[in-house]
Amino acid sequence: MFHINLSLFSQTKALENKIDMFHDKLLDAAMTFKKAVAVYLEQKRSDDFKKVSKQIKQIEHDADNLRREIENNLYTHNLIPDLRADVLHLVENLDKVINKFDEVVYEFYAEQPEVPMEYHSRIKELCSLSADCAENMAKASRAFFKDLSSVRDYSQKVYFVEHESDLSSRKLSEAIFDSDMPLANKLQLNGFVNNIADIADTAEDFIDELLIFTIKRDI
Amino acid sequence: MDLSFFIFLSSGLFLGWSLGASDASNIFGTAVGTKMVKFNTAAIIASIFIIIGAVEAGDGASQTLGELGSINTLAGAFMAALAAALTIYWMVELSMPISTSQAIVGAIIGWNFFASKPTDIAVLSKIVTTWVVCPVLAGIIAVVLYRLTIKSVKYFHLHLLRQDCYIRSGLIFAGAFGAYALGANNIANVMGVFVQSSPLKGITLPYVGVFNSTQVLFFIGALAISLGVATYSKKVINTVGNGVMRMSPIMAWVVVVSQGLVLFLFASQELQDFLYSYNLPAFPLVPVSSSQAVVGAVMGIGIYKGGRDINWKLISKIAMSWVATPIIAAIICYVSLFFLQNVFALEVYK
Repeated sequence: MFHINLSLFSQTKALENKIDMFHDKLLDAAMTFKKAVAVYLEQKRSDDFKKVSKQIKQIEHDADNLRREIENNLYTHNLIPDLRADVLHLVENLDKVINKFDEVVYEFYAEQPEVPMEYHSRIKELCSLSADCAENMAKASRAFFKDLSSVRDYSQKVYFVEHESDLSSRKLSEAIFDSDMPLANKLQLNGFVNNIADIADTAEDFIDELLIFTIKRDI
Repeated sequence: MDLSFFIFLSSGLFLGWSLGASDASNIFGTAVGTKMVKFNTAAIIASIFIIIGAVEAGDGASQTLGELGSINTLAGAFMAALAAALTIYWMVELSMPISTSQAIVGAIIGWNFFASKPTDIAVLSKIVTTWVVCPVLAGIIAVVLYRLTIKSVKYFHLHLLRQDCYIRSGLIFAGAFGAYALGANNIANVMGVFVQSSPLKGITLPYVGVFNSTQVLFFIGALAISLGVATYSKKVINTVGNGVMRMSPIMAWVVVVSQGLVLFLFASQELQDFLYSYNLPAFPLVPVSSSQAVVGAVMGIGIYKGGRDINWKLISKIAMSWVATPIIAAIICYVSLFFLQNVFALEVYK
């Protein structure tokens, strides 16, 4: 019994570390995303941009591996089934946000959109808001595992920043369609704006679920 | 010792079986219902600790029942146990919270009346008081334990997965303790009435120890309880589980420990001796209802959290069972003893 419990505790410790590392990956992805878009706007598909794209691809790849390990461990670990289902769900949704960062950067790489100078600062601002949303989401999620009472604080930040990102993306879309660009360019650029804003929306959906899980866990 | 002993003992064994089937859910219900612990693991742990509790510490509560009325023939004991079992069956049909303790006390009083033996009112009032005290005490213990647990969880900032790990181990230990306390406290209900008339002899097991005749009797009764746990409690757990599952894992743990503590307090001779040795008031050793202790603990936490109203309907049902169960059991026992004596010509008292 003692031996079983010891191995149970060491397994738990290992799983805790993996979940922590997974959150780190999300924070890395958010920061690299901001950097990648800024580099693209300055230099287009330059070597620097390719380097940053590779970085985010690597982060996404590592996060996928970690997610699989966490999922496998959760099942072999025999957690309380209710908690296991919630943790699985959270990890999968966190991974979706990392994937979105990677997708948007790849779209910049593949489509090489023409972004007029006057939109640069507003796109950077939108990226910054989406990344901020994801960062606070990661903090809220980490708090779910370590300090339930702080989940609400970070969640509130996510809601606030998501609203800001909504406003910012709408204004940007309006400005794009009011411009003299060819329609194809307008549609392409608007697609990018929507995809970037979608990251914040996904973070908000995640927080909605996280708050329900938190109420369930609130002892 | 002839075969008739086991025939007479059958009602007690049946009572034990039904106790195991119904009360195991109080110990491992949430853990198994929420799949935190496998049923087989729970059943094995419960069985082992029920037997240890019954054999090692079952004597105290049994002596109190003996003071209430010492049934001195096997046929009388058979009928008292059967009357209690029938009452429980009937109460289950009426969806009343069952208590084997209350049924057996009623049956003993029924025997006392039939045999024209006096019922010691002091002992009876001591027993009845514990029925009321038991759920209240369970509620108080649950609130204290709950507060302490929450404070420590918050203080140590435990990772959610670590909490889960501790809770699962904690539920197994709490279940083992609950089973020990159940065996110690409730074996008196099952086998208490047979103590005076049992022809069993004490045995000496090499390397294990010496067991007196009462302990051997309690061992047989505990086996019956374990059989009830193994064969039928899964069904009860699955039925009851859905209601209990709304509790958080920590609440579930607190409820099991509180219930175990209450049963232990009312069963431990050592604790009583310890308290007496320091001139402190001690708990009387009386069989109490584990189901009502659980209800008391759940309600205590509910009131403390302020989220739930007091379930007066359930409280009134429990209060009614304090009165109804013993009366019904006494009547059934009295009438059946009459038949046993006059139709089957059996000696039901000396």
